[in-house]
Amino acid sequence: MERTSWIGQLDGLLRGQRTTGSALRAGIIDVPLRVFVPLAVLLGGSYGFFMGWFALSMRDSEHRMEAMKQLAASTVKLPMLFLLTLFVTFPSLYVFNALVGCRLGFKSALRLLVAAIVVNLAVGASLGPILAFFTLSTKSYAFMVLLNVVLLAIAGCVGLGFLLRTLRRIEAEAREEALQKAQLEETFSDEVEEPAPLGQQMASKLTAMKPPVRAEVESGAANGIFQIWVIIYALVGAQMSWLLRPFIGNPAMEFTLFRHRDGNFFSSVIDHIGKLFGM
Amino acid sequence: MQGLTLRMDDFLRRVLGPSGRAGPPVSRGALAATVLIAGPLYGAVMGSYAFSSAERLLMVLYAAIKMPVLIFGTGALCLPGFFVLSTVLGLRDDLGRSLRAIFSGQAALVLVLASLAPITRFVYTCGIGHSGAILFNAAMFTVATLAAQVVLWRLYRPLVQRDRRHLAMLWAWLLLYAFVGMQMGWMLRPFVGSPDQAVTFFREEPFSNAYEVIARMIVGR
Repeated sequence: MERTSWIGQLDGLLRGQRTTGSALRAGIIDVPLRVFVPLAVLLGGSYGFFMGWFALSMRDSEHRMEAMKQLAASTVKLPMLFLLTLFVTFPSLYVFNALVGCRLGFKSALRLLVAAIVVNLAVGASLGPILAFFTLSTKSYAFMVLLNVVLLAIAGCVGLGFLLRTLRRIEAEAREEALQKAQLEETFSDEVEEPAPLGQQMASKLTAMKPPVRAEVESGAANGIFQIWVIIYALVGAQMSWLLRPFIGNPAMEFTLFRHRDGNFFSSVIDHIGKLFGM
Repeated sequence: MQGLTLRMDDFLRRVLGPSGRAGPPVSRGALAATVLIAGPLYGAVMGSYAFSSAERLLMVLYAAIKMPVLIFGTGALCLPGFFVLSTVLGLRDDLGRSLRAIFSGQAALVLVLASLAPITRFVYTCGIGHSGAILFNAAMFTVATLAAQVVLWRLYRPLVQRDRRHLAMLWAWLLLYAFVGMQMGWMLRPFVGSPDQAVTFFREEPFSNAYEVIARMIVGR
């Protein structure tokens, strides 16, 4: 087995080499979880680390300990947000995948979703220096909240783009495979038209084995499953982020690991836009 | 002397002119050196506003230092994002060319600015007010940015013709760079320096956020 460093494997994923047509045709999504889950933790942790800087820059030396706690909490919470959301949503995502007619198995679906999360977090981590720069030069909590929402939205869009591209590739590969199978079988059936009992048996066996191609790879399955996945994951993810807050740490409030469970993510974003404009 | 002029002429054509017509493209090291030389040149002139005391000479030095810091600092913050986004979009093989186009744009910006430096100095000598000096410099930066855009888009055209995704990447770069660059410029101010205030590298007030200031200006609070 080829041994590649974690960075090499991450690079391969970002370049799309791990989700090429040939790999997908063989039914493989080459994203080993023992490598990519820790990578998601590392990349998410690095973005969370930059996110937690705001608490450090805003609190005086007396409250330095609280700021350090916030920094540690943000570093841990950010990867948790993505992985816990996946943990909560995966059963439903997997079932809908089967319902829509996508041919991904349990492991493949999990690997694909982890891969999309890693891509998402890699983009987020790469935007980390920009976040750190604004953290050091900004006192406005509302601005930092909105900046984080925008940066994570950019990273999220790229992650979703990766997911959609891969799903479409899987669909195209499956269609091509089904077509080839059908052609092969047609040729084979022609050959066994002669009354040869063994040939007939094999032909009937093949027909029995023949997968329900139309049902397995229904047209537009990629778009369908993508839309369902995005809606489920985004809704649960938004609420999970609300549950796990604070991520940045409002400097006007005491440090707490979790806040009271009131309000929701979307009303908070609208509230912060109002605050930025001094309304 | 003539040799130097010819070499400079050749260099300018290779950086600013249409690619392929004036010899091989300039190396990335040479482009970085251009920013390090031409940037401080305009910065020094920009900081030479109102020589009311010997202390004001410091402003010349400060502004000269700040110019490459502004350009390289902004670039360094945006490059990790650009690198990862390019990779995800499948454009890593063209990364060298994309970066050359970006560095060429930056070199073009400072070269045009440096060429405008005598005009800026002339306008200062004519006795323009502090606000006028800031506005004039903003106008010079606008002209130089437009020229840099011409160079950048010209070098990006073959890439975009080959793959439309380069267009998205170019826009992503421009948006990121403008977003970070504006805050970097705000943090590094003053570049011109008010004659009524003491000369300082940074403003004495704590760092603030440019976008927050703009948001408050729009709302009028």
